[in-house]
Amino acid sequence: MGRCRDKIVSMNVGSRRPWRKYAVIYRSVLMENLQYAANVTMGFFSYFIFIYIFIKLWGYMYRTPGELIAGYTKEQMIWYVMMTEMLIFGSDGAFVARTVAGDIRGGNIAYLMNKPYHYTLYILTRYTGEWSVRLPMYAVLAAVMGTVMVGPLSGFRPKAFPAMAVCVVLGLTINAVFKLCISLFSFWIEDATPFQWLYDKMILVVGVLFPVEIFPRALQPLLKMTPIYTVCYGPAKLIVDFSPEKCLEVLAAQMLYLAAGFGLMVLIYRKGVKKLYVNGG
Amino acid sequence: MLTAAENQLRVCFLTIKYNMMREMVNKVTFLTNICFMVLNNASFLVQWFILFRIRDEVGGYTLREVMLLWGLTASSFGLAHILFARVFSLPDLIVKGKLDSFLVQPKNVLVSVITSSTDISAIGDFLYGMVILCICGPGVSGFFLFLLFTVTGAIIFTAFGLLLGSLSFWFLRMDFLENQVVMGMISFGTYPDGIFKGASRFLLYFVIPVGMALWHPVHVIVNFHAGMFLAVLGYACALSAAAVAVFYRGLRRYGSGNLMEARL
Repeated sequence: MGRCRDKIVSMNVGSRRPWRKYAVIYRSVLMENLQYAANVTMGFFSYFIFIYIFIKLWGYMYRTPGELIAGYTKEQMIWYVMMTEMLIFGSDGAFVARTVAGDIRGGNIAYLMNKPYHYTLYILTRYTGEWSVRLPMYAVLAAVMGTVMVGPLSGFRPKAFPAMAVCVVLGLTINAVFKLCISLFSFWIEDATPFQWLYDKMILVVGVLFPVEIFPRALQPLLKMTPIYTVCYGPAKLIVDFSPEKCLEVLAAQMLYLAAGFGLMVLIYRKGVKKLYVNGG
Repeated sequence: MLTAAENQLRVCFLTIKYNMMREMVNKVTFLTNICFMVLNNASFLVQWFILFRIRDEVGGYTLREVMLLWGLTASSFGLAHILFARVFSLPDLIVKGKLDSFLVQPKNVLVSVITSSTDISAIGDFLYGMVILCICGPGVSGFFLFLLFTVTGAIIFTAFGLLLGSLSFWFLRMDFLENQVVMGMISFGTYPDGIFKGASRFLLYFVIPVGMALWHPVHVIVNFHAGMFLAVLGYACALSAAAVAVFYRGLRRYGSGNLMEARL
C-alpha cells in the first residue's frame, strides 16, 4: 500500500520529470511480458519456416562457392534475411496497429486520452515493453539457427554491438511511429488495416527479403530515402557487415526520420481527436 | 435424400450470402479490404522480378510458372476463406463450447459450422488469382484446369484445416498449431518445389499437403499428365473424407459449454 502511494506521489511530481510516468508504464508492461515469456516461443515455428525457405532459396540461387550477388556472399545474404526477419518477428509491429485501431474503434481512447500522458507516447512505451522481451529471445534463436544452419557470421564485429543496438532500437521505434500514424487514420475511416498491409509489404518485399544493393542502381538512391533504409536495411546491414561510416550514415538518417515521424504522428493525432465522437457506454 | 441435399445447399448459399451482406454494411471498408488485398499480393511480384534478374529460372520454374503458382495459391486460399473461413478458427469454437448453437440446428452440423463465417479480404485473394490467370493465359484447357485446381486446392486447405482444428476435441492449443501450419503451407506453396530436396520435399508432399494442393496442379497445367491429375483429385477426396471422419469422431467427445449463444 505504502509502495503504491509512493508510486502515485512520484507520478504526480512527474511534471518536473515527465519521463518517469512512461518509465513506470514501461516497467509494468515489461513485468507482465516476462510472466508470459514462454508464449513468445510459439512464434519460433513460423520464424523457422521463413528462414528455412530462404536458406533453400539462396542455396539454389548461389551456384558456386564464394559467388557474390550484389556484393553479398551466400552466408551474408542468409544472415541479412535472418536479421531483418528477427527484427520483424521480434518486434511484433502489429501490436501498435492492433492496439490503436482497437482503442479508436472500441471507444477506449475516450478514457485513455484524458490520462496524464500523451496517448501516442503511451502506446510507444507499451510497444517498447513488448519487444524488450521478444527481441532478445528471437536474437538468441537467430544466432543459434544461423550458426548451426549457415555457419558463423564473418563480418560481425562484437565491439560494435552497442552501436548496432542503438540502430536497432531507433529502427524499431521509427517503424512503430509510422505504423501508429497509419493506425490513427482510424479516426477518419473505420478500418485502417488494409493500409497497414501495404506498409508491411513494402517493408517486407523491399527491405526484409533483399538488401538495397540487389535492386537496379537507378532505384537505390530512392530506396535509401524510404523508411526501409532506417527500419530494416540499416540495422541489418550493420550487423552483417559493420563499418563506422555506414553506422554514422544510418544513425543520421534515423534521427531525421524519427523527428519527421514524431512531428507527423502528433499532427495526425491532434487532427484526429477532433473527429472523435463518443457514443456513451 | 436429394431434397435434403438441395435444402442443405440452399442453406449454405444463403449463409454465405448473409455473411457477405453483413460485411457490406460498411461499403468503404469492404472495398478497401478487397482492393488492398489484391495490391498486397501483387507487391510480391517485385520479389520475383528481382530473383529472375539474377537467374533465368528458379527451382525449375520460369517467371510465368511462378506467377501461376502464386495465382493458384491466392485463389485456392481465397476460395477456402470465402466459403469455409470458420474452419480456420474451429479450435476456438470447440474449446469455448460455442458449438452448442450449431448442434441444435436441424441441418448438418459440420456444414453449418464451416460456412458460418466469411473472410472478406479473401475475396481480394481470389480476384488476384483470377487476374493472374488472365495475365498468364495458360490456354483454354489450362484455364479450366486452373479453375478446377482452385476448387481442389480450396478443398485441400479446408480439409487440412478441419483435420488440425478437430484435434482440439482431444488437445488444447490446437489453434496455434492450425494457424502456424496453414500459414506455413502458404509460405512453402509460394516458392517453387525445385528448391526443396530430400526429407523436406517428402514432408511437403506427404505430411503438409502443399505438393498436392499447389505444386502438382501447376505441373499439370503446364504439362498435362493424367496420373498426376487423378492423384490430385483422389488426394482431395481422401483428405476430405479423413477430415470429416476425424471431426465427427471428435464431436462425440465434445462437452457442451455454459455459454449462452443464439444464431439467428
